[in-house]
Amino acid sequence: MSGSQGMHSPVAQFEIKPLIELSFGGYDLSFTNSSLFMALAVGISAVFLISAMRRAELVPGRMQGLAEMMYEFVAEMVRSNVGHEGRPYFPFIFTLFVFLLFGNMLGLIPYSYTFTSQIVVTFAMAAFVFVGVTLIALFKHGLHFFSFFVPAGAPKVLIPFLIVIEVISYFVRPVSLSVRLFANMLAGHTMLKVFAGLAVMISGAGGLAMAGSVLPFLALIGLTGLEVLVAALQAYVFTILTCMYLNDALHLH
Amino acid sequence: MTCLPVAIAIAVARLTGKGIHMIRLKTCQHAGIMLFGLAAPATARAAGAGLPQLDISTWPSQLFWLVVLFAAGYIIMAKLVTPRIGAVLEERRAKLDDDLGKARAASEDAAQTRAEYEADLDAARSAAAETAKTAAAEAAKKAEASDAKIAKKLADKVAKAEAKLATARSDALANLNDVAAEAAMVAVAQLADIKTTAAQAGKTADKLAAQMARQETN
Repeated sequence: MSGSQGMHSPVAQFEIKPLIELSFGGYDLSFTNSSLFMALAVGISAVFLISAMRRAELVPGRMQGLAEMMYEFVAEMVRSNVGHEGRPYFPFIFTLFVFLLFGNMLGLIPYSYTFTSQIVVTFAMAAFVFVGVTLIALFKHGLHFFSFFVPAGAPKVLIPFLIVIEVISYFVRPVSLSVRLFANMLAGHTMLKVFAGLAVMISGAGGLAMAGSVLPFLALIGLTGLEVLVAALQAYVFTILTCMYLNDALHLH
Repeated sequence: MTCLPVAIAIAVARLTGKGIHMIRLKTCQHAGIMLFGLAAPATARAAGAGLPQLDISTWPSQLFWLVVLFAAGYIIMAKLVTPRIGAVLEERRAKLDDDLGKARAASEDAAQTRAEYEADLDAARSAAAETAKTAAAEAAKKAEASDAKIAKKLADKVAKAEAKLATARSDALANLNDVAAEAAMVAVAQLADIKTTAAQAGKTADKLAAQMARQETN
């Protein structure tokens, strides 16, 4: 497109570029820029959380306090949304939150890659949660699970319609869960790129006009702050919705 | 809002007098479309122009690495991180509970010690008062006893002195009789020229003295 002009498309940042070519059984399984930042998210979060707790003290320092804060945050989320029965799933929920939080935050560093802006990644995670939660519900409640789709106390005439609605809303869960995160990341990063590109373009005009680039640059600063908030918030939203689905599976309303 | 970037670009171009590269403007418009067409990323334009997310050829690699790396992350979190943090938090909770229990016990101990101390103090105070009372009583008794002794001694002395005085007096009286007899004898000899012996005079004087004493007692 406009690459030859030194300007990138605002969506060029989402391009997947292989770093190490790999293929297996006819599939391209290359280690890409996306995989690199996924690995960094796992690696940095693991190194941070392990080293912060290495010399754990009774009165925590800054790093230990931060690690404990993250743990307590997720533990409290699981406790208040799922209850005691949610304990076995805590490590998964915690991994999910840390993975998404570090992925979203790393993506805000200029020239990095935001793997949560990939619909296939968010959908795979949402689908895993959806299938897992449904299996847990079936395993725990057997056929009684299907009563989940019949709202209690509804008039008999309405029940067939309500069941259809409930079933649809249940199967839409993985879609809404994945699209919410994906769309937020896509929108945020595109917007940052647009304003950044605009600032660069105006400054390229030279002379007095360069002063005009201050406006989009200021907007960029504000948007970056907003995106930091969105990055944390969307990690939280994905995690808390997972908790709620898990709660539904364990307690059926 | 959609037109803002374009408007700024045009304004800049007018100010500087330089032409705008249409291709840049197109990029800008494209950005605007992207910005406000996000809810439907599968629009013909986005899909056609290649929203990289919709390039299916990259999906196997993304899914593969997601599974591998998320699984690795899960194992690290489940085996290393969460048990460690959980243990540290549990340890702290136990320590706090323990310390609070100890503090409560110490506080109860202190209250008990204080109560004991106050009881002791009360006992000591009443014992001291008792001692003071008995001491005062004893002292009073002793003082009384020594007073009585001294009084008796003095009375004895007085009695002795009085006895001495009495003997001295009777001696003096006896002497007085002799003196009177002698004087009477001298007076009789000079006045009546009667010579009397001292024995006679004494006898008479004694007789007189006895007579006088008899009269005195009557």
